[in-house]
Amino acid sequence: MEYNPTIVSFLCNWCSYTGADLAGTSRMKYASNIRVIRVMCSGRIDPTFVLKAFTEGADGVLLCGCHPGDCHYHEGNYKCLRRFHLLQKYLDQMGVDKKRIRLEWISASEGKEFAELANEFSETIKKLGKSNIKEEMKVEDKKSPESAVHRPARMGLQSTVES
Amino acid sequence: MEKTRIGVYVCWCGTNIAMMVDVEAVAKEMESRQNVVLARTYKYMCSDPGQDMVIRDIKEHKLNRVVIAACSPRIHENTFRKALENAGLNPYMLQMANIREQNSWVHSDRIEATRKAKSLVAGAVSRVNHHQPLNKREVPVNPASLIIGGGISGITAALELADAGKRVYLVEKESELGGIAAMLDLTSPHFYSISDSLKTLIRRIEVHQNIKVYMDSQVKQINGYVGNFNGEIKIGNKKVKNIDFGNIVVATGLKPIKPETIENYGYGVFSEVITSLDFEQVLKKGSVLNAYGIKPKNVAIIHCVGSRNEDYKPYCSRTCCMTALKYANMIRSALPEANVYQMYADMRAYGKHCEELYADTSGKNVLFLMYDQREGMPIIEKDAIGPGVLIKFNERLSGEDIEVPAELVILMTAMESGKDAKSISQMTGTSLDANGFFIEKHPKLDPVSTTTDGVYVVGSCQSPKNIPESVSQARAATANILATIAKGYVEVEVITAEVNEDICCGCQFCIQVCPYGANNYDQRKAVSSVNEALCKGCGTCGSACPSGAISTRHFTDKQILSQIEGIMAEVGSG
Amino acid sequence: MSTRINPDFKNELTHFGKDEWNECYHCGNCTAICPLSKDGFLFPRKDLRAIQMGLQDKLDASLEPWLCYYCGECSETCPRDANPAELMMTLRRYLTSRYDKSGLAKLFYTNHIWEYVVLGLMFLAIVVAFLVFLPLKTDAALMVNESGGVMINSLVEGINAERFIGIIEYGDWTMAIVIALLLVSNIVVMFYKSVLSENGIRIPFSSYFTEAWQLVWNFATQSRFSKCDDKQYWIGHLLLMTGYTIMFILVVVFLPLFQIETVEPWWHWQRLLGYYATFGILFFLTIVTIKRLQKRDVKLKYSHPSDWIFIVMLALTTISGILVHIFRLQGMVAATYYTYVIHLAILVPMLMVEVPFSKWSHLAYRPFAIYFARLKTVAAEVEKEKSHKELVPAVGS
Repeated sequence: MEYNPTIVSFLCNWCSYTGADLAGTSRMKYASNIRVIRVMCSGRIDPTFVLKAFTEGADGVLLCGCHPGDCHYHEGNYKCLRRFHLLQKYLDQMGVDKKRIRLEWISASEGKEFAELANEFSETIKKLGKSNIKEEMKVEDKKSPESAVHRPARMGLQSTVES
Repeated sequence: MEKTRIGVYVCWCGTNIAMMVDVEAVAKEMESRQNVVLARTYKYMCSDPGQDMVIRDIKEHKLNRVVIAACSPRIHENTFRKALENAGLNPYMLQMANIREQNSWVHSDRIEATRKAKSLVAGAVSRVNHHQPLNKREVPVNPASLIIGGGISGITAALELADAGKRVYLVEKESELGGIAAMLDLTSPHFYSISDSLKTLIRRIEVHQNIKVYMDSQVKQINGYVGNFNGEIKIGNKKVKNIDFGNIVVATGLKPIKPETIENYGYGVFSEVITSLDFEQVLKKGSVLNAYGIKPKNVAIIHCVGSRNEDYKPYCSRTCCMTALKYANMIRSALPEANVYQMYADMRAYGKHCEELYADTSGKNVLFLMYDQREGMPIIEKDAIGPGVLIKFNERLSGEDIEVPAELVILMTAMESGKDAKSISQMTGTSLDANGFFIEKHPKLDPVSTTTDGVYVVGSCQSPKNIPESVSQARAATANILATIAKGYVEVEVITAEVNEDICCGCQFCIQVCPYGANNYDQRKAVSSVNEALCKGCGTCGSACPSGAISTRHFTDKQILSQIEGIMAEVGSG
Repeated sequence: MSTRINPDFKNELTHFGKDEWNECYHCGNCTAICPLSKDGFLFPRKDLRAIQMGLQDKLDASLEPWLCYYCGECSETCPRDANPAELMMTLRRYLTSRYDKSGLAKLFYTNHIWEYVVLGLMFLAIVVAFLVFLPLKTDAALMVNESGGVMINSLVEGINAERFIGIIEYGDWTMAIVIALLLVSNIVVMFYKSVLSENGIRIPFSSYFTEAWQLVWNFATQSRFSKCDDKQYWIGHLLLMTGYTIMFILVVVFLPLFQIETVEPWWHWQRLLGYYATFGILFFLTIVTIKRLQKRDVKLKYSHPSDWIFIVMLALTTISGILVHIFRLQGMVAATYYTYVIHLAILVPMLMVEVPFSKWSHLAYRPFAIYFARLKTVAAEVEKEKSHKELVPAVGS
């Protein structure tokens, strides 16, 4: 059977999340492996969130914001874009295929575009197959508990659920 | 510390969710999650009994966190927050999981959809553990309002507010008030003179002590938030005026497209071909003549010029069918012997007394000829044997290729959004749809508000509208504004940034990224601080902060990271 | 090729009956409900559209009006009361005037005073001709046969029975030939407009013969009429048509056997056929007259002057014929002679005006229209088969 990946998606509240809702109200069908997390602005998408998603076992991470110039907060999407490029570079150096992370602009009226993007990205990730980041993290954890996590609290790589 | 007690509620939404998601299985799965006290399903969570169930449970089971898996939080988050408040719980102790718009409606495999629903709800449960009670802030409302656009919508809104004794700043980019309505002779379907009514309204505006009109002016900048906006108006070419206001009514309207862009109609090539607004001027002069001053024997009115056509404007321009029928009547009474042709793609005569006008007009010897846009639009050529032009197309109801001679051709041009719509949407933080029209907060239940509190969009700037629709919208928006002013205060965003001064290293990255200048550097303490009145809670500073000192309330790192954990956790299948 | 529309055209049609063309909004219910409207020959909506747009050539070429038998179902269904059935009737009148190149048909339809004038002049001419050239004998009272009946052929001064029959037969045949020539020339026009002038249609030569039975069959049975939902009109019309045809054959072809000096017994074939014809004509004529006056049936609600002229002329012909018969049996010589003259003076103008130039021409146009429509259908089938063969080459070849 074909591998069914898990994709975590961060959508900004004003454009992309509304666009995704529009895909719903328009009953457009798309891949069911997208799990959406809502943030107020794409500028809020901390690289840590992306890394966290990968270490928790996500096979791909999709980031969406307003089109350039349309940001509800004027320029949050530009900040996101800059971080995205750096993050891609970082992931590449860490041996993660940079195709596993993608940033696209989806406006509040682009329900169709969101559905198409979801399907397309899902196909890309299916082709790349399962991400082994989570497994490797475990191995490294065993080898040296300190070295794997440089900024434990900040990177959020430890469980946040207080037990 | 009080023990966390979470209640999980999974909504069926009738069959909307329950058909694609096994809601019972989702609830059952959640029962075993940490800190979850109970998990229930209900047919309609947003209904009164649904909300009452939550309130009862909060009281009986001492719940202090609630997760509701239902529709998009953009629709009912406020409903459920109010329910929590009614139960005596802080409204921010709620987290919603969107299992309708982003799950049941977009997937077709019930097993997969159920699995996804479990993940999303698990994420919400995990997140809600870290929710903090937040207290709403109230700020006083500046009773003055800014109205952008002096068309019929803007005029109506200005007079409504001013008559209620509130200050109004009306900004118009042209040198005259009235907008498109001022260019019209009579209205359809009743043939009233709109210019007479408009003149009275404009005169009232000019002398109204509560209204300040800025002609030939443009809004250059808008800052602030609901109740406390501040803006810069550029008057004429240089002077810039700074004003304060509490609410904004965007009424920038629309404009006709340039028919030259559709070559087959020969606008600008043949003098016989004019636009509907050109023809209004002809009618205003009192007689129907073409550009050569000749009484036409054949008058053709072409509908959908650029409207409902994927190559130009995909939407219906709303008012042209009725206007075209009005023209047929005007021409019939001015030239009883003339042949009047309506070349239409579909007649749209919905609305009060509109179908009646259609029926009445079709009895007046007006020939309705149907064309199909998909098979090409009519083509206008010089008539080789007659005095005017020839309009060639395939007539759908007969199936024949025909040519129609005409000495006067009226193009019912499509309407597009005003050219300043883009800049105003950016200044006000509102969105435009794919056609460049403003998006309202909810197309049915909140048709004049926007996602930015205190900014209203009325009239044709949100889609082509006729006069009664524009006036209704303007009045709806002013009613909303007057209600806010009467209340005296507005609740503003509690989702703002806060600085943990103990961790802040004073690098000032947050100050650089803040688009609102809400972050300040406290020289004495050598840390950043947030001006909550200016902060809008985008959270960009939080992502930039290298030490994790600044965080956005309700979207803290902890909350989002735990949501990721919850979403990625294993869930039972089926 | 595109057609220039002519919105004034519909004004030309107003004299032919219906004069309002705006109500229709082209829902197509009329075409859907019509039991006769079939693929290739769809009506009445398309014809109404052609009128609205003034597509005169298309209308001139159309056979559809003749394929409609006016059951009225379309007008009853029409949500806009556009009365498409009456429209088809109007078109039949219009087409009759278009096939006739003399312009008389158009004159009679558009200005019926002229029809009265022509009918009246012909009436007078025949009466005068009889009184001058074939006057009643002075001793006519003797011309009674052994059974007491009038010897109808021996009433004219200086002309014996054989000669008299010869003259009348000569007149009959002349009239029949003139009418036939006029009708044939009109049908040629119809054929040219509806079949020959249509581009890209090639009628297989053999089909002219293989389909010819359609002409006789449809003339004799009017089987197409029987497909309308209300069968009563078909039966009534069949009575009228057979009655009239029998009478026509009797007086033109078999005149020497029909108009005889002796009185045959009532069960003789010649008398029985005559009675059947009289009954058939009068029965239907009475019903139609009553219904036209009642204006309840859609079909007979709207009467054009030409409809009434036809009914009145036919009724007068039949009544005068009955009177001749009665007077002859009663031995009333003078009465027989004068009613005979009047009978001819009504019959001849009726045939000369009504058959080639007015309502009655449908006796020829309907069967021919069905025949031409059939030819076009055959041509279309052949064309379809050919293109099908070209598209799908035979497997294995």
